[in-house]
Amino acid sequence: MKISKKIVLLGHFGVGKSSLIRRFVENTFSEDYKVTIGVHIFKKNVSIPEKGTDVSLVLWDLEGNDDISNTRLSYLIGTHAFIYVYDVSRPATYKNLESELEFLKEKQKNTPITVVGNKEDLVTKTYLKQNVDDFGSLTDLYVSAKTGHKVDFLFSKLAEALI
Amino acid sequence: MLEDYKKKYTKPVLQHAILDFNGNVVESDNTLFQDLKDKYIGDIHPFFETFSALLISEDNETVFSCVHLEIENRNITADIILQTFKDGKNPLLIIHDLTSHYLNYQSTAQVRNESVINSQILELKNIYLKEKEVFKNRFIANFSHELRDPLTGILTFTDILSKTNLDLQQKDYIKILHSSSNFLKKMIDDILDISKIESGNLELSIEPFNLLDLLNEIKFNYKLKAEHKGLKFLHSFDEKLPEIIGGDAKRLRQVLTNLLDNAIKFTSNGSVTFNVSLNQIRAQKASIHFEIIDTGIGIEEEKLEEIFTSFSQVSGDDSIKGTGLGLAIVKHLVEHTKSKISVSSTPGKGSTFSTNINFVSKPSLKVKKDKKKQSQLTTSKKYNILLVEDSEITQLSVLKILASQGQFFLDIATKPDEVLARISNIDNEVDLVLMDIKLKEFRGDEIAKKIRKLPERHQKKVPIVAMTAKVFKEDLSLYKKAGINDVLTKPFNESQLLDIISKNLK
Repeated sequence: MKISKKIVLLGHFGVGKSSLIRRFVENTFSEDYKVTIGVHIFKKNVSIPEKGTDVSLVLWDLEGNDDISNTRLSYLIGTHAFIYVYDVSRPATYKNLESELEFLKEKQKNTPITVVGNKEDLVTKTYLKQNVDDFGSLTDLYVSAKTGHKVDFLFSKLAEALI
Repeated sequence: MLEDYKKKYTKPVLQHAILDFNGNVVESDNTLFQDLKDKYIGDIHPFFETFSALLISEDNETVFSCVHLEIENRNITADIILQTFKDGKNPLLIIHDLTSHYLNYQSTAQVRNESVINSQILELKNIYLKEKEVFKNRFIANFSHELRDPLTGILTFTDILSKTNLDLQQKDYIKILHSSSNFLKKMIDDILDISKIESGNLELSIEPFNLLDLLNEIKFNYKLKAEHKGLKFLHSFDEKLPEIIGGDAKRLRQVLTNLLDNAIKFTSNGSVTFNVSLNQIRAQKASIHFEIIDTGIGIEEEKLEEIFTSFSQVSGDDSIKGTGLGLAIVKHLVEHTKSKISVSSTPGKGSTFSTNINFVSKPSLKVKKDKKKQSQLTTSKKYNILLVEDSEITQLSVLKILASQGQFFLDIATKPDEVLARISNIDNEVDLVLMDIKLKEFRGDEIAKKIRKLPERHQKKVPIVAMTAKVFKEDLSLYKKAGINDVLTKPFNESQLLDIISKNLK
């Protein structure tokens, strides 16, 4: 039987949610910023050799919002996992990280959340260490949609964890 | 006929489809998409894959707004409504095509988001630039400070050496040493000034001073300098200029001498003109116009703004010495008086710098006269000076200067205990303490505080003169609070040291 998992990407606007999906699905990247409104849905099959199976990831790319409570709740129905994306170079996108995650946990109690700091190519490793109090302790992975760093790793590990 | 028109010209925006509870399309009106019937909904578009959990027999309406769909090679942005019913009736799917509506919304959101992101990035850049600026200024202040001790040594020993028996050639060498070290001192002063200005630590004083004396002194010095370079020095001082005005004489001198130095530096033939006139006196304010004209190399129009930038030298001639800070300092100082400096220039013909500066026209206080020869103590008494300093160069400089006067005994202390023990020794009173501030193991101002807390009444009041390069406003206030009487700025020369000792001895 085909396994299908719905993954919802959320976070502020301009943090690179669409770019992460495009990098993962099409292996492309564009510097041009195009605002996402509503939701775009993409699909990609990921094979998990360790478990001898394929997973079909249905990726919901949600419109960015500077307040997560404005998210249309119908989009969250049937979600298997969230990826919360912020921009490591822009403090406005992670200043309320803790409360945003709390909101998600409240709405979808048992749905796992992966917290991702995107645009890691724009900052130094020292910068990431220095900001451990702001976002470091809550972050699962630093990625770059631009360079592709850790993007495949993010989705394939998530797919594996969801089986 | 109307129905025919409607069919022909009405663009359908709604599609209705009936689903079974397994998610298969059992009926469709084919208005937007033609080929949905008999298909599993999840195969039509991945968006519908999550529908299986919603296909239950309950009265319920679920709305998904603004969903982007690509079906049958057609892209639309639609609101999707799934209506379920409790009596076992099949669920109804409604696709509402709102593409043009959402396209408008997208354009608005694009503009808004880009503007928010750009302003956030700009704010971050500003924070970054400010942090960089603070770092730069702190670095410059510390670096310049470290240069002061060796420079004090060079200046002092050049002075001392010049008073020994020298032949003509040696005297020439001393002149070069003297002018080079003074040039170095001027550069360090400029660097410190610009860091003080850029960190917002510069404050202008308003003291009465004799404007005509100052202008005549500058004229005298620069006439010599210009003529030495083979240039004519022309000047015109308005007869209506007030003699006494209130303002910061030191900084005015700095503005004018920087502009005149600049004019002479970049002129190899012709003249330098120094004009000063009274604009107006109104409401206790005297507006004075200063103009410096040269017939030098001039500046290209596109570089006119650049010349006022720190560390900028637009001449492109490496043989012309300087830090490129002179005009930046001038601009900042003039702007501190809420005035502006303007420049007009023709390459190959020369430049004119001019500014109007406001002063207090009738200052109430009297002009302080310079106390010349203050360093000569009139009594034959010998004074005990305690030098608290761990730089050997400065120790030796002070020792040589004081020894040459024959009026002082000098003790040197480098540790806090030694200082306090020496001060507490009432059998051999200290008449004055020369206190370095930034010693390797302790701070001079901290020791000053301890001295002021000593029990012996006469010793605890011993005059303390700080010797330091750190003379920002907050530093001076710190020294005052610590009980320090006066401050000698490093690097200093013989007369500055003797002046300050003489001034503070009882």
